[in-house]
Amino acid sequence: MQRKTLSMLVAAALAGVSMAAAAGPVTDEMILNDAKSTGDVLTFGMGTNGQRYSTLSKINTGNVKKLVPAWAFQFGGEKQRGQESQPVIHDGKIFVTASYSRMYAVDAKTGKELWQYDHRLPEGIMPCCDVVNRGAALYDNLVIFGTLDAQLVALDQNTGKVVWKEKIDEFSAGYSYTAAPLVVKGLVITGVSGGEFGIVGRLDARDAKTGKIVWTRPVVEGHMGYLNGKENGITGETNASWPGDTWKTGGSSTWLGATYDAKTNLVYVGTGNPAPWNSHTRPGDNLYSCSTVAINPDTGKIVWHYQNTPNDGWDYDGVNEFVTFDMKGADGKTVRAGGKADRNGFFFVNDAESGKLLNAFPFVDKVTWASKIDLESGRPVYDDANRPGNPGADKQGKTVFSAPSFLGGKNQQQIAYSPDTGLFYVPANEWGMDIWNEPISYKKGAAFLGAGFNIKPLFEDYIGALRAFDPKTGKKVWEVKNNAPLWGGAMTTKGGLVFYGTPEGHLKALDAKSGKELWSFQTGSGVVAPPVSWEQDGEQYIAVVSGWGGAVPLWGGDVAKRVNYLNQGGALWVFKLAN
Amino acid sequence: MSEEQRQPRFLLPMVVACMLASAAAAQTPADPLGDRGRWADMQRQFYQGGEIIFDPRVRIEVPANAEDAMNVPVAVDARALAGEQIDRIVVVADYNPILKVLEFEPTAVAPYLAFRMKVQQSTPIRAGVRLRDGRWLVGSAVVSSQGGGCTAPSAGRGVAGWERTLNTVSAKQFSSSAGNRLRFSVLHPMDTGLANGIPAFFIDELSIRDGEGRTVARIWPAEPVSENPVFTLELAGIQRVTQIEGRDNNGNKVLGTLR
Repeated sequence: MQRKTLSMLVAAALAGVSMAAAAGPVTDEMILNDAKSTGDVLTFGMGTNGQRYSTLSKINTGNVKKLVPAWAFQFGGEKQRGQESQPVIHDGKIFVTASYSRMYAVDAKTGKELWQYDHRLPEGIMPCCDVVNRGAALYDNLVIFGTLDAQLVALDQNTGKVVWKEKIDEFSAGYSYTAAPLVVKGLVITGVSGGEFGIVGRLDARDAKTGKIVWTRPVVEGHMGYLNGKENGITGETNASWPGDTWKTGGSSTWLGATYDAKTNLVYVGTGNPAPWNSHTRPGDNLYSCSTVAINPDTGKIVWHYQNTPNDGWDYDGVNEFVTFDMKGADGKTVRAGGKADRNGFFFVNDAESGKLLNAFPFVDKVTWASKIDLESGRPVYDDANRPGNPGADKQGKTVFSAPSFLGGKNQQQIAYSPDTGLFYVPANEWGMDIWNEPISYKKGAAFLGAGFNIKPLFEDYIGALRAFDPKTGKKVWEVKNNAPLWGGAMTTKGGLVFYGTPEGHLKALDAKSGKELWSFQTGSGVVAPPVSWEQDGEQYIAVVSGWGGAVPLWGGDVAKRVNYLNQGGALWVFKLAN
Repeated sequence: MSEEQRQPRFLLPMVVACMLASAAAAQTPADPLGDRGRWADMQRQFYQGGEIIFDPRVRIEVPANAEDAMNVPVAVDARALAGEQIDRIVVVADYNPILKVLEFEPTAVAPYLAFRMKVQQSTPIRAGVRLRDGRWLVGSAVVSSQGGGCTAPSAGRGVAGWERTLNTVSAKQFSSSAGNRLRFSVLHPMDTGLANGIPAFFIDELSIRDGEGRTVARIWPAEPVSENPVFTLELAGIQRVTQIEGRDNNGNKVLGTLR
């Protein structure tokens, strides 16, 4: 009898760890279990593989219409620019970052501020596309985030005091940092921003407790990687796909961060456009730009790569997240696969172990640069007439109309995957651009584009569309159109729901099977950030950051009239079911 | 709820609060500055845990009238306490928007520290010397000022590229018959966070080490310490300082070496 009581107690304690919020320091095990644990959100992507799927179903298709605000928290200040942050939640505290490299710790129950950290930024920072931040990482007693002046700061979760700070790179050379860091096996893994300034993309892994660098892996061919201070092999083969010295300023920034799958033990990072934009200056594939690159976190070496846009000439900046999932093939076998809705308008499905292309289909209605992705060769079938012309000695090369526009069929707004429906939910945008090349030479810290452009909507009634796709067949199951371009990520739940926000300010809940809108709330400013969900005191909560901004208002061209009436803001909204 | 019903609920807490206040006042001697300061608030926030003694041996030298509210020279001199076991010295300003100015631990140097600070308006400056037995020996002085020092942006903010010289240390050691003296400066904006749109950004930790790597003094500056702070220490028995190390609240490191 006694023994039984004891074992029941142990079972209850174990259940407490896995189901409810675990207090104390954040461990590697907790991070790997984040997709399943309901009492916290420890990682960007609600799990290191980035599925953005919550196993909670207390809020569901039947009762979501009763969702009401629990509280809201204002970021304040005059620094109300784009708020692209995903909150992380641990031990009753929400950690949320804001524009201009700010971070807040807020009591998850009451919305009361616990502390605030405002990073002091130099005047010369060079973020290309608004002064955003996408969120923080948790490890041990630390909350870690990157800043616009390319620093990585680790703060004490309880006090907000800086525990360590390391420089990622020189902001004066164009480096910046806007993504949420990823923590894997005690390493905090970060990329770099600055692809418009001729920097070189890479991933860095640091000891998350101390900030000490462990390995660094460039993602442009020809550059040396390092492990524990020693040379760890050159990335690729120098000059194999880049002529002359072009690889030295090859871009390929890793500005949207990385995902990790414990089953393959690989870190997946999307790499940005090669620099400069003018592709005629760099004939060749320009590896590993516009690719998914898989890196072993133990060795800091590249295991495989798949290039989505070889020799990119349109700024199809393929940083988009690679989200791993189990896919049942035609032969009935399950493969560990990864889905990526690329800037270039195609949705790619690769074998997560080997990188082999399994499927590729357009997720936008109009794609001009390639007629298809050949599943045999894994390469795009280009339409050469639609590559912007070589300016040669002239001031300007031939202008072409391209779709998608350089802002992409999908940009930073994150996709979600539901194992219940087997569907990916993609916040897509339909737009094209006139694009032309201009002569260009590299100058440290200066914009390195060599191209001009003008963005145009393709349709009168919408740019944005939240779409559900079957990754096996490429079939579009449903879509919900939106007048302004979508810029916030999606989340899906076991409750049969898909949540996403719009620039018009709404947070919406759709039926994950049909796309039917079941609930909507006006947050007061545009939503350009992904929602999250967790549970506390037996109730399920939904949170999202609201605050219009990001790249659209800065680069919008003819799109501007659909968004220029939107007002800025900066708030964290938390919702629960009405009692 | 009617007014009559509410009243009795109010009365009891007020009575208790009054009793507590008078009890606290009984332990603390009267402030020599009288109503020119707000000693009771300072004592409650910063000088807790032991008997309070206003002691003329804790001297604070300030100009009677501060010409530059951004740079008010202050010298805290407790060398007259020779023989007392000093733990640390806490300096505050009664009428600044940020009250604490700095803390100083004269581990192996003389209990003397000179520096510059910002004042927002005329205010008492206090230096509480905490002894190892828990007693506080407190000195006070009043500085008159036109004010505004805490809510103005740092001058360095307007200079492009301040981050390139951030935390640069200049230091010199002087010898005289009276002993060795160290003076050092660190280039830093020391922003209070009260100027519109400029976050608090200040050095919050400094350690001074001797030739054998021992920490001989520590300083924890707060926001009111002036931009590009300059500190002067009397080294007493310490022959040579070789290193000044610290960091700011953003985690930027300070490291200066004396040859």
